[in-house]
Amino acid sequence: MPTIHEENPSLFSDAVLAQYVVNDGDLCRLDILVAGITCPSCIWLLERMIARVAGVTDVSISYAAGIALVRFDPALALPSAIFTAVSRLGFRPRPYSPALSDIEARRERSDLLLRFGTALFLTMQLMAYSYSLYAGYFQGMGMAIKAVLQYASMLVATPVVFYSGWPFLVSAWQSLCSRRPGMDLLIAVGALTAWFYSTWSLFSGQETYFESAAMIVTFVLLGRLLEHSVRHTALSGIDSLYAAVAQRATLQDQSGHHDIAAEDVRPGDLLLVRQGEHFPVDCLVISGETEVDQSLVTGESVPIVVLPGDDVRAGCVNVAAPVTVQALRAVAQSYLMRVAALVRMAQAGKPSLQRLADRIAAWFVPAVILLALMVCVGHYTLAGQGLGRAVMVALAVVLIACPCAMGLAVPSAVMAACSRSASLGIVLRGGDVIERLAQIQYALFDKTGTITMGQPQVITFSPLGAFTEQEILLAAATVEQPAAHPLAKAVVGFAAERGALPGECRDFVVIPGKGVCGLTVEGRRVQCGSALYFRDQGIDLDIEGDTQESDDTVVLVVIDNVVAGRFLLRDRIRPGSVELVRLLAARGISPRLISGDAQPVADRIAARIGMDMALGNMTPDQKIAMVHELQAQGGRVLMVGDGINDAPALAAADVSCSIIGSSDIALEHADVIINGVDLAHLATVHHIAGKTMSIIRQNLGWAFFYNGIGIPLAVIGVLTPVYAAVAMTASSLLVSLNSLRLMRIKHHG
Amino acid sequence: MDESIILLIILSLCLGAGCWLVFIWAVKKGEFEDVEKPKHRMLDDD
Repeated sequence: MPTIHEENPSLFSDAVLAQYVVNDGDLCRLDILVAGITCPSCIWLLERMIARVAGVTDVSISYAAGIALVRFDPALALPSAIFTAVSRLGFRPRPYSPALSDIEARRERSDLLLRFGTALFLTMQLMAYSYSLYAGYFQGMGMAIKAVLQYASMLVATPVVFYSGWPFLVSAWQSLCSRRPGMDLLIAVGALTAWFYSTWSLFSGQETYFESAAMIVTFVLLGRLLEHSVRHTALSGIDSLYAAVAQRATLQDQSGHHDIAAEDVRPGDLLLVRQGEHFPVDCLVISGETEVDQSLVTGESVPIVVLPGDDVRAGCVNVAAPVTVQALRAVAQSYLMRVAALVRMAQAGKPSLQRLADRIAAWFVPAVILLALMVCVGHYTLAGQGLGRAVMVALAVVLIACPCAMGLAVPSAVMAACSRSASLGIVLRGGDVIERLAQIQYALFDKTGTITMGQPQVITFSPLGAFTEQEILLAAATVEQPAAHPLAKAVVGFAAERGALPGECRDFVVIPGKGVCGLTVEGRRVQCGSALYFRDQGIDLDIEGDTQESDDTVVLVVIDNVVAGRFLLRDRIRPGSVELVRLLAARGISPRLISGDAQPVADRIAARIGMDMALGNMTPDQKIAMVHELQAQGGRVLMVGDGINDAPALAAADVSCSIIGSSDIALEHADVIINGVDLAHLATVHHIAGKTMSIIRQNLGWAFFYNGIGIPLAVIGVLTPVYAAVAMTASSLLVSLNSLRLMRIKHHG
Repeated sequence: MDESIILLIILSLCLGAGCWLVFIWAVKKGEFEDVEKPKHRMLDDD
C-alpha cells in the first residue's frame, strides 16, 4: 500500500495524491485522514481554512473518524494545496484509507492512554502530599516539612502538566495563532495558571495549588479517553461496510497471475476471482459462470447466477467457480465505497441546532477569559482577598465554563444515530436529514419497488396479433433489455426462459412511468409499456376489458404500431409494509400511495397494507405537484421511491428515501437509503430521528443549564478549581453517554 | 522525623514508578488495544 510519511511534506506531491482523488460529477473529491483533531472546535477551524483554498467548493469533516471530505474543482485547486493548508494548522493530513484510519485511531488511543496513565499515577502521589499539606494548614506544620512536601508536589505535578497535558498546550497555542480560541485554550490557561502561580508561591513561601493543575489535566484526559472510545464505537457501523472489501486481488496477464493490493487495480485490468473470494472492485464478468452471494452488498440472501457480460459489485462473494473479470472502476470508486463515503459524509453533516451551538462556542471562549480576568481583579481589589484566593476563583470560572458539553451535544448524538442506523442497514446522508426526518407529516410511497418488492414476475403471456410467440418475446426482450425498470427485467427474464435472448437495440428511449421504445436490428419499431402509454400515442387498444382484475400489471408489446402481445405481471408486497403503515399512522403521519399504475391496482395494494389513501395514474409531474401541494399547506413530506420516474419527486421532498436495488439516480438523490428488503426499517429510522432530536435538545438544555448554574457559583467563589474540573468532565461525559443511548434502539422500535 | 518522611516519599515514588513502568510496558505491548474482542474469543468455534 502506498503510504505518505507524515513528517515529509515534500511527499505532498500532486502525482502521489492524484491516485486518491475520486471523480464526483464535474468536481473531484479527496478524502483526507486528519490526525490531531481533539475537539469540535478543531473541526470548525479546519473547515474554514480548507474552504479558503481556491477551487475548494465543499468541505465536511467527520469528527468521529477525523476524515475531511473535500470537494474541489480540479482546474483550480491542487490536492497538495489542500494538504499544505491542513498541515500549516498543525494537523497531520494523509490520504484516507480504512487501514490507515484504524492504525491512526490505535496510535491516538495508546498515546492518550500513556498520558492519562502517567497523570493518574503522579496525581495519586500528589494527593498524598496535598492532604498532608491541608492538614498542616489547619493544624500547623513545621516550615521545613512543609517545604519538603511542596517541593515533592512540584516534582510530581510538573510532568503531569507538561507531559500529560502537552496536547492541550499545543492545541491551545495553535488556536491562539489562528485566532480561533477553542476549549483547549481554557484547559491550558487553567492548568498553566495553577502551575505558575504555585511555583511562584513555593519560592515566596505561600500556599501552593499544584493539585489543581494536575487534577484538571487528569480529569480532562479521562474525559478525552472515554470520548475517544465513544467515537470509535460509533464508527463500527462503517467498518462493517469496509470489511466486505477484499484487500488483495489476483491480476491476470500474459505472464500468469500476480497477487496485488486491491488499491492497485486499474479499470480495464483482468482479474481472476477464485471460489470463496470477494470481488475486489466493481467488475464485468469476461469468462466463466458462477454464483455470487450479494448479501454483504444488497442484503439479498439468495445467490444469483452471473454469466459473461454481467456486472458484479465489489464486496460480493464468488460462491461457485473461478471467473475472469475485467475491473470497471478503481476500488475507491466502487459502489460499496460510495455507500461508505455517504455514511461518513452523514456523520459530518450538521443539523441547524449545531450551527447555533457553533456560533455560541465561537464567542464563548474569549468571553470566559475576559470574565475570569474581571473576577480575579474584582476579588483581589474590591473584596480585598489574597492574590492566591483571587487567582483560584478565576481559575474555577475558566474551568467550569469550558464549553465541552455544548460542543459535544449535537455531534455525539448525530454520530450515534448515524452509526446505529448503519448497523441496522440504513444509510443516513447527513445530520440535517435527521432533523428533517423527525418533522415529517406526510409520507408518500411509490408502489413498484417500494411497497411491492419490485420483482414482478410474468404470470401469463398471450400473443395477440399475427406474430409468433418467439418473435414477440424476442422483440420485447430486445427493447426491455437496456431498461432498469423491474417490469422490464421480468419481461427479459421470462423471454430468456423461453429461449428468446435479447438482440441489439437501437434508438432506445424510456418514457418514465409509461414504457420503452426502440428499434430491433431488423428495423422494427417495438414499444413496450402500459395501456396509458399507447392511449397517449393514439394506438387502438381493443383488448382492455379484462386487463386489471387483481394487483396484476399489464405490459403490452406493440410492434410497428400493431398490438402484438400482452404480459400479465404480478408483484409481491414488501415485507414490513403493513407494520410501517401502522407505525407511521400511530405517530400521526399520514401515509399515501402514489403510483403510476392504474387506480384500482393502487387501491388494492393500499387496502392490503392498511393505507387509507392511494392515488393511481400518477405521472412524474403529478407526483412532484403533489409534493409541492403538501409543502404549500405547510406539511413536511417524506418521499419513498425507487425509479427514474420518482427522481423529481424525491428531489422535491423534504426527505427522500430509496431502497437498495433502486436505480442509481434514485440512490444518488436519496437522503435515506435502506440497505435491505424490510420496509419497516423506515419506521425504525424515523424513530431514531425523533429520539436523536430529543437527545440533542436534552444535551443542549443540559449544557446551558450547567453553565447557567456553574458560572455564577464560580464567580462568587464557591467552587474550587478541582470541583470545577470534575464538574466540567462529568458534564461532558453525561452528554456523551446520553447520546450513546441511541445505540440501544432496536429495530421496529 | 523529617528524614523518615523524606525516605517514605522517595520510597512511595519508587513504588509508583515501578507500577508506572509496568503500565507503560502493558500499553506498548498492546494490552489495551482491543478490550472487546478477546472476551468473545472463547465462544469462537475454531
